[in-house]
Amino acid sequence: MTDYLWIVIALPLAGAVFLHFFGQRLGEPWAGIVATSTIGAGFIYALVAAGDFFTGTGHGETIHLFDWIAPLGANAELLWDPLSAVMTLTVTGVGTLIHLYSIGYMHGDPRYGRFFTNLNFFAASMLILVLADNFGLLFVGWELVGLSSYLLISFWFTKPSAAAAGKKAFIVNRIGDVGFLIGLMLILANFSTLTYGTVLEEPARFITAGTATAITLMLLLGAAGKSAQIPLYFWLPDAMEGPTPVSALIHAATMVTAGVYMVARAASLFELSAFSMGTVATIGAFTALFAATIALKQRDIKRVLAFSTISQLGYMFLAVGTGAYIAGIFHLFTHAFFKALLFLGSGSVIHAMNDEQDMAKMGGLRTVMPVTHATMFVGWLAIIGIPPLAGFWSKDEILALVFGEGGWYGFLWVIGLVTALLTAVYMTRWMQLTFWGEARWDDGVHPHESPAVMTVPLLALAAGSALFGLINTPFKGFFQPAFEHFLEPSFEAIEMAHLPSGATPYVLAVISVAAAALGAWYATRRYRGENAFERAPVAEGRTGLWRWVDNGYYVDDIIGNLLVLPGKLVAAWTAFVFDSDVIDGSVRAVGGGVRRIGGWLRPLQTGFVRNYAAVTFAGVVGLLVWFVSRGVS
Amino acid sequence: MTEISYLAIGPVIALTLGVVLVLLVEVTYKPKVTWLGAIAALSLLAGFALSVAQWIEASDDPIIRFRGMLALDPFAAFGSVVLTVLGAVALLVAWPLIVIQGRRAAEFIALVLLSLTGMILMAGAAHFIMLFLALEVTSISLYVLAGFARDNADSNEASVKYFLLGSFASAVFLYGVALSYAATGSLSLYGAAEFLNENLLLDSASLLAGIGLLIVGLAFKVSAAPFHMWAPDVYQGAASGVSGFMTAGAKVAGFAALARVAVTSYGPYISDWAPAVAVIAAISVVVGTMLAIAQSDIKRMLAYSSIAHAGFILTGLVAGIDGVPYVWFYVVTYAFQVLGAFAVVSVVSGPAGTRSPLTDYAGLAQRAPVLAGSLALLMFSMGGIPLTAGFLSKLYVFREAVDAGYLWLVVVGAVASVAGLFFYLRVIVLMYMNPQSEEGGVGETRVGDPLRVALTAVAVITLAFGIVPGPLLDVVTSALPL
Repeated sequence: MTDYLWIVIALPLAGAVFLHFFGQRLGEPWAGIVATSTIGAGFIYALVAAGDFFTGTGHGETIHLFDWIAPLGANAELLWDPLSAVMTLTVTGVGTLIHLYSIGYMHGDPRYGRFFTNLNFFAASMLILVLADNFGLLFVGWELVGLSSYLLISFWFTKPSAAAAGKKAFIVNRIGDVGFLIGLMLILANFSTLTYGTVLEEPARFITAGTATAITLMLLLGAAGKSAQIPLYFWLPDAMEGPTPVSALIHAATMVTAGVYMVARAASLFELSAFSMGTVATIGAFTALFAATIALKQRDIKRVLAFSTISQLGYMFLAVGTGAYIAGIFHLFTHAFFKALLFLGSGSVIHAMNDEQDMAKMGGLRTVMPVTHATMFVGWLAIIGIPPLAGFWSKDEILALVFGEGGWYGFLWVIGLVTALLTAVYMTRWMQLTFWGEARWDDGVHPHESPAVMTVPLLALAAGSALFGLINTPFKGFFQPAFEHFLEPSFEAIEMAHLPSGATPYVLAVISVAAAALGAWYATRRYRGENAFERAPVAEGRTGLWRWVDNGYYVDDIIGNLLVLPGKLVAAWTAFVFDSDVIDGSVRAVGGGVRRIGGWLRPLQTGFVRNYAAVTFAGVVGLLVWFVSRGVS
Repeated sequence: MTEISYLAIGPVIALTLGVVLVLLVEVTYKPKVTWLGAIAALSLLAGFALSVAQWIEASDDPIIRFRGMLALDPFAAFGSVVLTVLGAVALLVAWPLIVIQGRRAAEFIALVLLSLTGMILMAGAAHFIMLFLALEVTSISLYVLAGFARDNADSNEASVKYFLLGSFASAVFLYGVALSYAATGSLSLYGAAEFLNENLLLDSASLLAGIGLLIVGLAFKVSAAPFHMWAPDVYQGAASGVSGFMTAGAKVAGFAALARVAVTSYGPYISDWAPAVAVIAAISVVVGTMLAIAQSDIKRMLAYSSIAHAGFILTGLVAGIDGVPYVWFYVVTYAFQVLGAFAVVSVVSGPAGTRSPLTDYAGLAQRAPVLAGSLALLMFSMGGIPLTAGFLSKLYVFREAVDAGYLWLVVVGAVASVAGLFFYLRVIVLMYMNPQSEEGGVGETRVGDPLRVALTAVAVITLAFGIVPGPLLDVVTSALPL
């Protein structure tokens, strides 16, 4: 079964190639059906292939497909172990639902076929990334994911903002990629290969803690770019310009999790450097808090979720930086469900509201969109961490493990807790402004429930968001920590964070649920009633700190003025001064040099045979001098 | 009678029969040109099948036949396989040119097949006289092919130049053979090796001079600098439909012969010849790259680029026998790339055209996406961009050279590769980003079926071996001389 694991990648890839040529001709809905079935079949295959892991009898194995760049250890080899299985199942499972949903969502788009080409291509890239057995192939997937996300974000490229958002995502990711690439070079220099087998198994034999710090910090830069962490988070909110299923697929369930996955995969490297671990955790915690505060004030239905994604990814970084790898992956897994759910639900709303995204013009949708509302209700409870929904189990496990580490991590726990409170506030506000309260629709907008092809994925994701937390509870018996047992083989040699002993975890759980409840209660009161919207600080920014938050701490402006403007100046200088004077100048100089050489070789270059022969003869003489001198001495 | 092995000359017999049949059928029946093509295809197919048979036979039991004249070893068999495939693709590429030749089509096909027999013998020759004869069969056929467009002055000039300089190189080669014979007392490649292994020369000057002259003779054929002067004029002057074959075939056969002579006959003297080869490689890479930048005609650019590539391939040869598999890898994949590139040129400039200014390629992507896409892929590969065979070829030869202690050569090669990207990418920029120029862009862009097949084959080879090099690597690592 695992011998043919490449089929999981090949299916969506074949779908992409096929749709590239025939997608537009197939049109609606067949292009979508083809794309959905390829990734769906991939999911089923992966599910069967992972069978041994479910029963606990499986062990990680490497599947060698073919040699690629053998000298660097970058061959086409896949790694099939519990960690990559979880990632594969998440990508294909959630991906299938999102593909299915897109069949309805993209209805009427003139580039319907092309959309599914890109969607399938993205899925294939992501699968290469998570299934790779060496950093070289991982990097291939990494870059392809960057490329396909660019294509999807700027799918509606005739809209200037979408084109700009695609460019922004791509460039910010490039910055991270440079770091990542340097990390890979350092690995290559120290290990002479890129295969996980050598690099990740007892790396301490090859490198010192100092080298490990350098390598992992570089990898972290790459991970921060892909996973939208400080300082490279700011591309993600703009990426909402893409069609909503793209937001759900790329910016909730898959692409942004690549960084978390990579850190978890390279756990044995990170482990060597306490400094790197601390940096990962600290970046995660602060990103979580920072993004949550910005989310408080957004009025675009999708931007709230975008900042929320950044915030939740922060939790995952906090987890892997604490050594709570399984908890981090668990949160990645549950988050994939409830965030995809929330995104697709907001897509359903946008669809119903004639492409309106401003929450100021929504409200009161509960009655007209009962299915969407019901599923969003589940998503809301899941993300704010109300038991027994999925988000509670994963987030609480992270917080408890962070608390258990003590010291600096105790401080990070406080940040995590505050973030949980803020999460409840902004998500409740989101529900309140969209679904509850009074209708503030524009004239001529007649919201309606979405078709079944869109609501069925919502229901499936809602079920996942409600139930999948139960596969990893700390209780024995029926609620076994199955997920943990499943993943354990991947982290055998890794030192993991431990839960605090005794009743402490339960106390912590009560505290965080109380925080969530408090936040929800506050937000319901704050944004409820007749004139909820006017009283809510959404319409116009208040003074002081609120204004800062309103504008996302002006980070975009700061970056715009501090980096982009100088960058553009440098680019302009490069284009008009450096290029024309130095590059062109040197080309001219080379050309001139060639021409000067041509000057004294002129008779030769104009094509007289005798001169060609003369050059050849000179070469003969040169060689003879060398050889004869070697022979005589 | 055991000295006779029909299998050893099987592919040669098949191709020679093809030549005879094509000419006889032409004078007897004056058939449609398609029939001549069919005969050529059959003889190439037979040649290919026999080459594969050779490979199977020789893998177990490599041997020398015809009283030391011809080797039946994996090296020869692999060369033969490659050359028959190359010949088939080359005929597909040249098909539009063949069709417009009218009654002269038969001569053209016969010359291509004849030159192929010479090339196959070059890869298999185990004797200097045999090697010289093969070299001459190859060269004379190519001289005529270069001047095949009789009514074109460029073409005539190219042919005469190629002939005069080629004769000069042949003379140098022969002189080298004589000196080597004087030093070792044997004209057999293996006899010379045996003598050198058993005896220590007190004065090796005449032997080394002989080696030097032999290297010159073969370096001329593969257009390595400073013996390259003819190449740009000849490749430009020859009809576009055939330039690719001249470049590719001569490279494969020339490097096969050079590799066999260097590592078998003079293997013990590697410390003497390898530095010289390294210097030739460096000069080729630098001169080829530098002059390619300055070209405004794509055929001349490709010619200079082929000089640079000759340098890269020689980079692999400095490692001696260890480098031979990677020399094969490089030369085989490059041969198909250059054939494909000239195929695109032959459409844009017309199959019988001789000049092909770069301005003709502006906006080609709009007019002919298939041509532009193919050429872009080939430019990426020649420039050494990953996921193409060109990248891996460079990687392999560089690694061999580093292992052999020629780091300086690799540094030169790497810098030149970067500089080389300039002129490869310029073609892509022209095709995809520039609008069609006013006076340019008149070129033909219709792609016939034979050419489509050829371009597809070339693209598949370039991409497949760039992503999955394993199968080819397995083959080339066993394609070693006896």
